[in-house]
Amino acid sequence: MATNTSQGRSPRYSEEFKSLLSETWLGYALILPATILVAAIILYPTVRGIQMAFLEVSLLQPGEETFVGLENFAEMANDAVFRTALWQTVLLTALAVSLQYLLGMALAMVLKEKVPGMRFFRSVSMVTWVLPIIVMVILFRFMVQNGFGPANIVLGALGLETTYWFGDPEMAFPLIVLMHVWRNVPFYAIALMAAMNSIPETQYEAARLDGAGALQRFRHVTLPQISYVSMIMIVLHVIFTFNNFEIVYLSTGGGPLGNTEVLATYVYKTAFETYALGYAASMGVVMLVIMLTFTAVYVKLEDTD
Amino acid sequence: MATETDAIDGGTGTTSAIQRFDEWLDEDVSPRRALAVYAALGVFMLFLLLPVLYMILATFTNQSFLYSSALLPSLSSLTLANYVNVLSTGAFQQYFVNSTIIATATTALTLSVGTLAAYSLSRFDYPGRGSLLLAFLGTQMLPYVLILIPFFLLMYTLDLINSHLGIIIAHSVIALPLAIWLLKGYFDDIPESLDEAAKMDGCSQLDVLARVILPLSLPGLAVAGFYTFTISWNDFLLVSVLSQTGATRTLPYGLQLFQSQNQVAWHLVLTAATITMVPVIVLFAAVQQWVVKGLASGGMKGT
Repeated sequence: MATNTSQGRSPRYSEEFKSLLSETWLGYALILPATILVAAIILYPTVRGIQMAFLEVSLLQPGEETFVGLENFAEMANDAVFRTALWQTVLLTALAVSLQYLLGMALAMVLKEKVPGMRFFRSVSMVTWVLPIIVMVILFRFMVQNGFGPANIVLGALGLETTYWFGDPEMAFPLIVLMHVWRNVPFYAIALMAAMNSIPETQYEAARLDGAGALQRFRHVTLPQISYVSMIMIVLHVIFTFNNFEIVYLSTGGGPLGNTEVLATYVYKTAFETYALGYAASMGVVMLVIMLTFTAVYVKLEDTD
Repeated sequence: MATETDAIDGGTGTTSAIQRFDEWLDEDVSPRRALAVYAALGVFMLFLLLPVLYMILATFTNQSFLYSSALLPSLSSLTLANYVNVLSTGAFQQYFVNSTIIATATTALTLSVGTLAAYSLSRFDYPGRGSLLLAFLGTQMLPYVLILIPFFLLMYTLDLINSHLGIIIAHSVIALPLAIWLLKGYFDDIPESLDEAAKMDGCSQLDVLARVILPLSLPGLAVAGFYTFTISWNDFLLVSVLSQTGATRTLPYGLQLFQSQNQVAWHLVLTAATITMVPVIVLFAAVQQWVVKGLASGGMKGT
């Protein structure tokens, strides 16, 4: 901005300096409300939560805090429920995100085709992503309810076993994975489709001339050019799935027999049902550290590629 | 659609279905490929949409149908009784009003605060700008359940438990980082030469925002507004912590209570659930072209 070298320098510089200064202040002023809100409602509680991880506090007497050092973290090592929840959270995240990515990729390749009516299908496929989670849960519970759920009517007609599948210790977890997949596949599909559409057709032509088959073209032309969007989608959804509370809590509450318990629901119950705020916070901190590590490593790997 | 085909065929007058299908398609798609695409599309749409459509169908039936082993109701048994029943329930009306007030106010607050912040990030140069944006986005990584504990105590201290205002502020803050990011993407796309031209004409920085940037980024505002409204309308977790009586309860929380009390009344539970999803679906239909486009370009540019 201040690079002009015409006449009348000194008054001009001071003027520009002044206007630069006022611009800077106006810039800060404009972003201040958002910063204050986020600092007060997200950052302060996060810092406070990290601090609480080293305290013993009860929700019943939040004023009485005892510093216990690393005791909360040590407790996790002996807590079987915590270990199960941690394992199930990792498993759920890994399964849901990889299935979402594969199916999302498949749907993207369908949606990018230019056939009549496709614009309508692109939009309408996003409906599952817009639904409130509670509505999705009610829908799935209805589908698999004992006896007269449509899924069970079909299974029954085929002579297969029917039951309330969310209450089945073996099937509840796969159903949770299914809900995560059902909800988010369209989001992946639209984002991947957009990335695929931005690849110039000439590159495919060139590959074809070099004798590359469909599979090779996908591997060497498509994949490298959707890798950035893929990374964004995967990181976003790993974070979303890992931290998600509502899907499990509203559908199974963590049961049956704790078979669908994830960290988010266990932390919530520890805080708001057993009132052990310090212990709950320390598990929340573990979740945060895992997500920070994951994101840092993944972004780094993608960068070096 | 097939009239041109007839004209081309002229004399023979027998246009095969394949030919007509081919005419209907874009030039560079072969009928065989199109059939494969529609078949694959059918499978995906069945998976994604059939459950939703079936739920909607079920809301027009009665309880005895839902407790029979029939999959499809007879046409004559379809009824609006469930809607009348649910919509005339006082508690449901109250939750609907609460949800509407909270989601609308949240959207207004987030868009105002978010627009100023996005304008600042897009057009002003100052130390810490890049890290501020990163910090905003970084908050998306934090586990809600960790924030929730001190957050609850904070809201309690501020006397914002069980108030509309408390929920509105909480929802706004949750939506704010992504709203800012979306808006900044749209603002960045507007050439700065337009700002300069407006300033030549005597516009101040804030005039530029009001007269140049905002009118040109209406799609961005629509997408960010839709995103914020949906976050607020759909939220269960924060409301379940902040709301303690029916006076502040929103639809998702009310729905959860309703379904746990009415395990057997599926006709009413499904109807209430359907009504709950209608506003976000209608809004989505209104902005879908920009959402899909925004995901395609604005949202994914790698700021």
